[in-house]
Amino acid sequence: MTGILEVQGVSIAFGGLKAVQDFRLSLREGGLQGLIGPNGAGKTTVFNLLTGVYRPDSGTVSLGGHNLIGLKPHQIARAGMARTFQNIRLFADLTVLDNIRIASHARTWTSTLASVLRTPGAIAAESAITEHAMELLDVLGLADRAQETARNLPYGDQRRLEIARALALDPEVLLLDEPAAGMNPQEKIALRGLIRTVRERFSLSVLLIEHDMGLVMDLCEQITVLDHGTVIADGSPESVQGNPRVIEAYLGAPSAEVSA
Amino acid sequence: MTKLLQTLMDGVSVGSLYALIALGYTMVYGILKFINFAHSDIFMLGAWVSFTLATLMGWTSDAPWIAGPAVICGSMLICGTIGFVIERLAYRPLRAAPRINVLITAIGVSLFLENVGQLEYVFGTRPQRMPSLLPDTVLASVAGVSIRLVDVLVIGIAFSLMGALEYLVFSTKLGRAMRAVSHDLKTASLMGIDVDRVISITFIIGSSLAAAAGFLTAAKYPSINQPAHSNWILFGLKAFVAAVVGGIGNVRGAMAGGLMIGLVEMFGAAFFSPNLRDVYVFTLLIVVLLIKPDGLLGRATVEKV
Amino acid sequence: MARESGLKARAAALAPEPMTVLKQSVLPLVAAFVIPLIFHFGIGPSVGAYPSKVLLDIGINVVLAVSLNLVNGFTGQFSIGHAGFMAVGGYTAGLVTYYGGYRIWGDSLPHGGFLGAGEMLFLVATIAAALSAAAFGYLVGLPSLRLRGDYLALVTLGFGEIVRVMIQQTSDIATDATEIAATSWPSLLWKVGGALGFTGLPFYTSLFWVWLWVSLTVLVASRLKTSTHGRAFLSIREDEIAAEAMGIPTTTIKVRAFVMSAAFAGVAGSLFAHEVGTTLNPGELGFQKSFEVVIMVVLGGMGSVSGCVLAAIVVTVLPELLRSVDEYRMVAYALTLILMMILRPQGLFGLREIWEIWPFKALFRSEAK
Ligand SMILES: Nc1ncnc2c1ncn2[C@@H]1O[C@H](COP(=O)(O)OP(=O)(O)OP(=O)(O)O)[C@@H](O)[C@H]1O
Ligand SMILES: [Mg+2]
Repeated sequence: MTGILEVQGVSIAFGGLKAVQDFRLSLREGGLQGLIGPNGAGKTTVFNLLTGVYRPDSGTVSLGGHNLIGLKPHQIARAGMARTFQNIRLFADLTVLDNIRIASHARTWTSTLASVLRTPGAIAAESAITEHAMELLDVLGLADRAQETARNLPYGDQRRLEIARALALDPEVLLLDEPAAGMNPQEKIALRGLIRTVRERFSLSVLLIEHDMGLVMDLCEQITVLDHGTVIADGSPESVQGNPRVIEAYLGAPSAEVSA
Repeated sequence: MTKLLQTLMDGVSVGSLYALIALGYTMVYGILKFINFAHSDIFMLGAWVSFTLATLMGWTSDAPWIAGPAVICGSMLICGTIGFVIERLAYRPLRAAPRINVLITAIGVSLFLENVGQLEYVFGTRPQRMPSLLPDTVLASVAGVSIRLVDVLVIGIAFSLMGALEYLVFSTKLGRAMRAVSHDLKTASLMGIDVDRVISITFIIGSSLAAAAGFLTAAKYPSINQPAHSNWILFGLKAFVAAVVGGIGNVRGAMAGGLMIGLVEMFGAAFFSPNLRDVYVFTLLIVVLLIKPDGLLGRATVEKV
Repeated sequence: MARESGLKARAAALAPEPMTVLKQSVLPLVAAFVIPLIFHFGIGPSVGAYPSKVLLDIGINVVLAVSLNLVNGFTGQFSIGHAGFMAVGGYTAGLVTYYGGYRIWGDSLPHGGFLGAGEMLFLVATIAAALSAAAFGYLVGLPSLRLRGDYLALVTLGFGEIVRVMIQQTSDIATDATEIAATSWPSLLWKVGGALGFTGLPFYTSLFWVWLWVSLTVLVASRLKTSTHGRAFLSIREDEIAAEAMGIPTTTIKVRAFVMSAAFAGVAGSLFAHEVGTTLNPGELGFQKSFEVVIMVVLGGMGSVSGCVLAAIVVTVLPELLRSVDEYRMVAYALTLILMMILRPQGLFGLREIWEIWPFKALFRSEAK
């Protein structure tokens, strides 16, 4: 059985630093999988490799059976892979609504000329984009902020806007890079529900990077653990939690301390 | 053969002027990551300040031997100060601003210097003749090529200044601080380097080198155009092209780039058409950027996401 | 391979009412033709020759500023070679009306009255100007895609200079009707006057044509800004990496911005070339002119169409009012530019339009929704 997202033997090095080595992953359709590891383990780099920001030195990535290696980021996005950014990258000077409508651009069919001429078709397309965006904002609880400038949103709202924007692409796979970072406990609890809801409602498969272990263990049915760019464990939350290598990676190896 | 040697000589001579100016561009870019458009105006000021100093001192004809060195040092000092002031007033408030804003400010500073210079009681708009402070004698003739003292001095002074800078950047504590700031401004300041001071010094050095180039240009081509004359900006821009071609942020790259641009321009002018000089330079720029976007000696950079 | 988004189905259910189409689509187009007529037959004759000339200059600068705004404001790229595109357009149009006029009528004088045969030739010439400038925009846009912001600035500047120098190399204008009739088009291409400029062009540029193009430029830019295509431009300015991740083909869009911007600069070049009291010469269209347009865009607000229009008006009119202190004009511009960047870096209006700002907001609200 193959998953919707299949990753095999993916590696990349920056200069001498082997940031990710022989990474593998299989994301089940409709699955919710965690990607964890200590700071600098290479998790964000994996997302960058999956979304085409970096091109892997070796390895294969396929989405729904289609090869993604060599595609540009926007092509990968259009193929159905959406992401959020760890260090929020919203379109800061634009409104919340526009942030989302931009992601719908990939799904529009009107030509520039039609837009400029304001043909009835173009007007209808714009209404459809707006309606769709407002629906998403509603789901994410941001509807009353639609006209606000993204820059002025509180931190937690910015993170949720990132998710809403990714959803506007109508993706099959959603990559979330530390969506709970900087959120307070209540917001985290709400986020937990939110991730479940959107996965159901938009029938997504989700890959989640998160440092909050409670969140990850509770949400994910499968977890991959990275350390120094390599996969050191892979399995159910329970098996990963009990894995001595994982504990060592998080607590630091006693032998390393001696030799240091 | 004679033509070849002559062109070589011209190319190296102009190229070393480009290199001197390019150093200022490249040092600023290396640290603050923006094109200091006003740098070509400092170069222009270098020439005009030299002219003004020489006239004020009455060294219009039969100048004593001390005139040349005194004027070049005076001009470097004044322009260094101006560079310092510009950085403090115009660029420092924008340290954290988007680069496009700094770039626009630099254009603003450039326009400001040009147009203030044009005012009647500053330098005016009439072209002036630079008094010959460096004796313009033919030293020797080799294979039909006359070696003029001016050219020798231009090349000599330019290369000594570049040598001094090379020593400063690579062999002194200050140079190490400059390289650290250029490599990573934030980390450098965390490591206790006084970043503001390093940046100020960079502007002072870059501006005084440009002033030296201004003086040498005025000595080599004694008719000085009005401050807003496009020749100044073009000359400066070509120096920036040299910095980019060599690999921006790289001191040796700027020198190599300067010489290369000088040679390309002069050989193009001598063997194809003299009217298309600028075209050769900008074409070279586009070709280099397309083949190696980080310049000949530059390092590739990847933006972290 | 991507799943069906349902946007199309949604759109099908949202077909606009005829009244909406009329209001949003048709009326502005009608206005775009009526306003120039008002300028031409109403305002122009009543204000007299000199103010009319200023109105022509304003219009041309508006076209320049609003078109540069597509690249510098909307897309966040930094082009400082706009005068180069203007020159390409101006010379293209000049070739059409001058030598075309000779081929057709045996001279280069204006023929026919308002909307007569001569003005139709001028229309063709202006469209040709837009197309040739657009082609150059494509050429400049392509290499720029691989370059980061300030290198792009340098390349556009270099492009402008190359254009200027090449024009300086051209040879004298042909003035003899029989000689022109006997010369082939390709060799006429090179006879545009060199450094002295392309003189003797017919004066077709009138308030009607200038303000027609102003209306069209403003209409295109503002409709773009409020459409999905314009938002794609804006996303690049905001964050290129995020834009790519959201499926925006940033390279294609950047080239598109360059091409559109250049096309309108070409139009402005054509209008400039056929205006009374200007000469189309390479000296006029150097980087100083490009900088002037940049100043308008920066002052008005990068991304604000109405802000650019306003800035173009101010930058054109102020020097006319301050003729006595003309030498301080550029000093004042320069200081404004620097202070602006320090105090209000987004320009007067930033991304917003004038009617989105407080005192006007109330006035326009009823109309907006
Ligand atoms: N473009 C790049 N150039 C050089 N090194 C890079 C680049 N991108 C990432 N790295 C390095 O790769 C390593 C992995 O970084 P990455 O951001 O993927 O870690 P991470 O697991 O996401 O960490 P965190 O939990 O802190 O977000 C780090 O050492 C980082 O410095
Ligand atoms: Mg990370």
